[in-house]
Amino acid sequence: MLIIFAIDALEYTLVEEFNCNNLKQKFYGKTNIREFSEPKTMVLWSSFMTGKNMEKEIVAKGDREMWNTRLDFNDTFFKQFKNPKIIDLPGFNYIKEQHEMERKLLKEYFDAKDEEGKKKVRTAYNNLSFEHHRKIKQEFSEALKGDYDFVLGYFSVADVIGHLNFGNRTMMKMIYRDLDEIAGTIKEPYIVLSDHGMEAVGIFGDHSNYGFWSTGFKDLGSPRITDFAGMIKGLSDVKL
Amino acid sequence: MNNEKLKFVIVGHVDHGKSTLIGRLLYDTNSLPEGRLEEIKQLCESLGKDIEFGYVMDHLEEERDQGITIDTAQTFFNTEKRDYVIIDAPGHVEFVKNMISGASQAEAAVLIVDAEEGIKEQTKRHAYILGMLGLSQVIAVINKMDLAGYGRERFESVKKDLLDFLSNINIRPSCVIPISAKNGDFIAGRTGNMDWYKGPTLLEALDTFRTKESANNKPLRYVVQDVYSFDKRIIAGRVESGMIRKGDKIRVLPSGEETKVKSVEEYLKNVTEAEAGKSTGITTEDKLFIDRGNVIVGLDDLPAVTNRIKANVFWMDRMPFKKGESLRFRCATQEVNCEIEKISRVINSSTLELIAEDADEIKNREVASIIIKTDRPVVVENFNRMEELGRFVLGREDTCAGGIITEMVC
Repeated sequence: MLIIFAIDALEYTLVEEFNCNNLKQKFYGKTNIREFSEPKTMVLWSSFMTGKNMEKEIVAKGDREMWNTRLDFNDTFFKQFKNPKIIDLPGFNYIKEQHEMERKLLKEYFDAKDEEGKKKVRTAYNNLSFEHHRKIKQEFSEALKGDYDFVLGYFSVADVIGHLNFGNRTMMKMIYRDLDEIAGTIKEPYIVLSDHGMEAVGIFGDHSNYGFWSTGFKDLGSPRITDFAGMIKGLSDVKL
Repeated sequence: MNNEKLKFVIVGHVDHGKSTLIGRLLYDTNSLPEGRLEEIKQLCESLGKDIEFGYVMDHLEEERDQGITIDTAQTFFNTEKRDYVIIDAPGHVEFVKNMISGASQAEAAVLIVDAEEGIKEQTKRHAYILGMLGLSQVIAVINKMDLAGYGRERFESVKKDLLDFLSNINIRPSCVIPISAKNGDFIAGRTGNMDWYKGPTLLEALDTFRTKESANNKPLRYVVQDVYSFDKRIIAGRVESGMIRKGDKIRVLPSGEETKVKSVEEYLKNVTEAEAGKSTGITTEDKLFIDRGNVIVGLDDLPAVTNRIKANVFWMDRMPFKKGESLRFRCATQEVNCEIEKISRVINSSTLELIAEDADEIKNREVASIIIKTDRPVVVENFNRMEELGRFVLGREDTCAGGIITEMVC
């Protein structure tokens, strides 16, 4: 079984700062996403699973429609696996209602007129994200025990919580440590991959222009996110 | 409760539970700012976990970084007996620097060891430094007993390994306590999880320690920081030990000139004396040449003025020291160039293995017995007699070693 622990907005510098050894594994580094004009989640994950730069195609759909992207299984590298399990991946099968609600609350937060209103929305937003995170964690944990040859679990918590709370170091540390613990439960070879990182804008967080990767078996150097499709094709035939 | 205050450090290998223990101590003694624990608890629940006390420290540190709380590196709690100050040692190197440079001023230490992992490299190095500094008030705690099933056998095995190691470096902990910082076993109270242990809780054990003898009772050591000429010539400095009073006969070292204290100066205050720990100004009856780095003492019980010193140093720079290199020697406010004349012994601070005798180099994290030769006389003392002038650091651009003076060489 090959496992991809896909984490939205996992920031390289925080993985180091919080000493997340399971996320770092033996080899780790930054992914190169400079070929993209902006580090957009939907564009990056779509490019990852197809192995080609999907920016033009996805951006052309417009800001709203882009989130409805559902790539065909046969257009992704997942097809090479007999029994793959993909959990909540943007551009493939992510839970639309959940992420729509998160975006709705994010907008409400910035539209709120007073501090009290903002606080209320922030709490609802954080709760929604954490609840989803617990569900995905559970689903991922069960998938790891299942009869799959490929498992990809997508975790959005660092991105969603980070957008409103990146300046809250304790909260971010707890999230990173939790993700690190999840990585620690994986018994098979795994790749940790993020689409982009995150940088502080006051208390908030915005996407940074590099991603994160790690493996326990190979130094990947400074890969592009589109390199992984081909790389994983190769890895699936090799006994790791 | 009296006004007594005991400062201590919690040391041990990374991830053996230092932060969790601090969080637990603060929680069990009701010393956490209101609402802090609830926030951590809520976040832990959000992630589907039990509360983790280790994050309490992160939360407090974050507030310090944001300037919400004033103090930068100390955490406070109290028992019925007295106040306690936990000296924060954020990382291994910082711990070593703070301990050796004296910044931490710790009077006692709690050495924490993970029950499952047992003693590790950093446990040994930290313990070694405690031994080197002669810190005699030490409690050992074997943490994470919950993960070891609260088993006595595991506790006894780790305890034996630990005591074997500590005996080699002359540390005798007053007790070894099985604890679970996570669950609160034997921190402030007994939980019934380890009925086989009949000793004190951590707080009970801490309460048995003595606070340091007041430095006021020691001989005067007034370290000159600067000299200002206003309408009068004010010498600014810090009373490291003893008391300085108007009218006292004093001697300035290294020159040896004598005079009297004409006045003790404090901004907007009319004072005639200053006690240990106080930074204050003085004027003198005679106009002597006094400069930063000088040490003002009484006429009795004098420190040594020498340019050759026997010392133990802990090297903490990745770049090794090689014989022949010139270094800066800093002790109190004295700063002079020096050479290491002889490296008598080099020891691995983790294994205690003798690496070399009459060596030519000292590498990172090694401890060495050396003879230092300074290019000018310095005012120093044996560390065991007077810590304030008995510890020093060696530097290139930054500090690369810290040490204690064991003997003066004639």
